[in-house]
Amino acid sequence: MADPAVILGDIKKSYRSGFSRERKAAVDGLSLEVKSGEIFGLLGPNGAGKTTTLKIILGIIFPDDGGGTVLGRPLGDRASHYRLGFLPEQPYFYSFLTAEKGLDLYGKFFGLNKDERASRSARLLDMVGLHRDSHLTFDKYSKGMLQRFGIAQSLINNPDLVIMDEPSSGLDPVGQKEVRDILIHLKEDGKTIFLSSHQLSEVENICDSVSIVNRGRPVRQGMLSELLAVEGITKVVLSGAATAERVRFTGLARHIKETNGDTELEVDSNDLYRVLDLARELGLEIVSVEPSRQTLEDLFMEAVKERGH
Amino acid sequence: MRNTGILALNVIKDTARRKLFYVVFLFGVAVVAVSPLLPAFELGLRPQFLKDISLSLASLFGVVLAVVLSVNQIPGEVEGRTIYNILSKPVSRLEYLLGKYLGILADLAIFLLIMGLEIMVLVSARAHAASPLIFQGVFAVFLECAVIAAFCLFLSTFATAPVNVFATILFYLLCHVKTDFLHRTLVEGTNGLTKLLAWPAYYLLPNLENYNISQQVGYSNGVPAGYLLRVSGYAILFVLLFLFLGYLVFRRKDI
Repeated sequence: MADPAVILGDIKKSYRSGFSRERKAAVDGLSLEVKSGEIFGLLGPNGAGKTTTLKIILGIIFPDDGGGTVLGRPLGDRASHYRLGFLPEQPYFYSFLTAEKGLDLYGKFFGLNKDERASRSARLLDMVGLHRDSHLTFDKYSKGMLQRFGIAQSLINNPDLVIMDEPSSGLDPVGQKEVRDILIHLKEDGKTIFLSSHQLSEVENICDSVSIVNRGRPVRQGMLSELLAVEGITKVVLSGAATAERVRFTGLARHIKETNGDTELEVDSNDLYRVLDLARELGLEIVSVEPSRQTLEDLFMEAVKERGH
Repeated sequence: MRNTGILALNVIKDTARRKLFYVVFLFGVAVVAVSPLLPAFELGLRPQFLKDISLSLASLFGVVLAVVLSVNQIPGEVEGRTIYNILSKPVSRLEYLLGKYLGILADLAIFLLIMGLEIMVLVSARAHAASPLIFQGVFAVFLECAVIAAFCLFLSTFATAPVNVFATILFYLLCHVKTDFLHRTLVEGTNGLTKLLAWPAYYLLPNLENYNISQQVGYSNGVPAGYLLRVSGYAILFVLLFLFLGYLVFRRKDI
């Protein structure tokens, strides 16, 4: 199994607020591990320490305490930057450059030759839908276009790890969908993606693992499928149950609902076998049996409220 | 050091599109051009006086440009958030700082070269003789600007722009009065506190009067090559010192 792409151990970072000697914790003992090849989502309300965490991973700011590795190298090691791409939140670029020249400039930092820079630029601008506007300078770009370019520049070096701060920020629904598709495509290419986002539906749709942080501390962390599973509750979907047959489950299921002709039962795990036996006895088809899931929004709200947001 | 060159080139491109550069440049050229119309000049058509005053003006505009170019080079990138797209690439902070400085230096060289050519054309037109000695004076101005830019860039790693401009002007003035005013304060002064304050300024600050050779260029045969070599080394020493101090601050600075 490949080494984790990112490991953070007990990271702490605080800032002095104004002229006061008191320090405010931005990150307070954050540990996490991002597996190679997965899409990892860092979630949290405003001021939770998400951007600070990303900047620590990139070596743009320095932790007060704790440490970690990025692509097997210590935090802030420049060698890891050759294999890393970064999209800042609401990115800005030198206003006198065009998209083509911008990608050419960023490509030079990786030592790419002229032909490589030109071919990658053309491919990336096409991928983010900016090929027609590549001759415009950035001062003529809309927020959404800057965001698209930001994604393109983060991929100029064909990185193994892509770190994105709010990748869908400033994009319309079509743009958001396109970004999701790009991220899924990158994952299929074997890349690791570490993103911070406020878009819970986006995260729920594409992330394998998440860490929910609040006030600089992780409050929920793990595989998304496991986090969303409701402990002790199983969802059973049956087909072909008439009203009279549904009534037979009343005492066994916590909740019964009819969806598109199927019957959906929420069952305590202790009662699961009795429900399945009854379904077989009634000759009903068992469509699926799976752990009951809550939405990411429910999980997020619950996790954030615990720390008194 | 490939990245240093890329960043320096980027500074030059950025300067080329900044209106401020043209304003300072055009203003400098215009003042040099109208200097013959000054009342003192009409007392006699003296190319020596023209060389002297033109070089002094070139020095003034060079220093202003050095400050304008340096003061916001790093804070501007932090505020505009363009720095994240650079430092997230395999670019070290030393390369970044040096790239910025070399870009500023190249800007100053271009600016002063054009100014020097302007002065030479002006003097040639008046005196009907070319005066390549002008470039000795221009080179000295360039060295002075290089020191000012390094100091200002160092301050920009931690100070706000207004504080930086104020401190750089103070630095410029102190560096020009050190051989005269500060020396007298130390030798003849009676106030202990004043002497205490004058001591570090006298011994630690560079003597920028070394680069004021407009009179030698204007009224005599300039300065010996050895002198220029010596003051070049002196400028390089202070430039390296200020860049080193800037790097010490910048290398662990949270951005």
